[in-house]
Amino acid sequence: MIDLQEFISYLSDHDFTLSSGVPCSYFKDLLINLEKDPDIYYVPATREDEAVGIASGYFLGDGKKSFLIMQNSGLANIGDALTSLAQLYKIPILLFVSYRGLEPDNDFPEHSIMGEVTESVLEAYKVPYWNLEESNWIKTLDLAINKMDKTSLPVCLLVEKGVLSE
Amino acid sequence: MKGAEVISKLNNVLSGEELIVSSNGNVSRQAFHLLPQPQLYLRGSMGLPVPVGLGLAIALPGKDIIVLTGDGNFLMGLSSMATVAFLKPLNLKIIILDNELYSTTGGQETVSSNMGYLELVLGMGVQNINSIDSIEKEDVIEKILSDTIKDPGLQVLHIKVEEDTINLENIPWHPVEIKERFLKQLDI
Repeated sequence: MIDLQEFISYLSDHDFTLSSGVPCSYFKDLLINLEKDPDIYYVPATREDEAVGIASGYFLGDGKKSFLIMQNSGLANIGDALTSLAQLYKIPILLFVSYRGLEPDNDFPEHSIMGEVTESVLEAYKVPYWNLEESNWIKTLDLAINKMDKTSLPVCLLVEKGVLSE
Repeated sequence: MKGAEVISKLNNVLSGEELIVSSNGNVSRQAFHLLPQPQLYLRGSMGLPVPVGLGLAIALPGKDIIVLTGDGNFLMGLSSMATVAFLKPLNLKIIILDNELYSTTGGQETVSSNMGYLELVLGMGVQNINSIDSIEKEDVIEKILSDTIKDPGLQVLHIKVEEDTINLENIPWHPVEIKERFLKQLDI
């Protein structure tokens, strides 16, 4: 697992001051740390598209940056929020999406189909994405945030089991 | 009264310091043509004016944020009202223009006519909710709008309105231009 204090400090140092989303067990430990963090305000959303709306409004309030947390099931909920809001108005958002439906989820058939199509969905939405891994997470986040800032568009990090929570 | 007439009344009571988020379709077009420019006109993302307003309200606690939304749009993003009620941003004012129709798409019926907005929003935990009929309250509607945007704390105003008969022209700005103009005015 990535050191979560270092991870949150990294985001805070890169001017992310708000976070929102819908939880996944893959983010359990991250969310425990995030809710205690004084520098990043976490807003619990009821739906993933609502979280995209909150992040978009936050950016339109003087260019402030936020990141979102959601399961890949949530990718199915944010299609319109991405294409007719965040991407259309060119709003940068950092998305952390849990990659459910891979081998550790063999007993969870509810994730299997979205697991198979997750990368295709991101490609179809034209959202650049990277796999977040413990070994080189800073380098990957640097790449993703540079891309987000340069394009002023949402980018995505796919997060497998054990990377941001035990 | 028609929705556009209520928006014109709102124009009379604005201080000019407020930031307004309008829901996609007719409401955004009316906001564009009837209120000071620029505002944050949503072109798509039906159901999201309330969360966009919430994000703005969190980012800019010193500014009053007004969300103008139709009933169909509000109902699509209804759970966002619960999020707002939970957080209670002091600078957020939500005005629901309820004509019980999807007007922009040709006047198809929404499920709004059946609902008690006062009880619904109160039940979510918002104390400052007012629900009025624009015909009954025509004489005092400007005062009610003024109170909604000027009274302290989170405010929600639900207004029954008549269907608009005139369709205003589309917003000529591309969404990126809407964003840039909106951000630029914040720098001044």
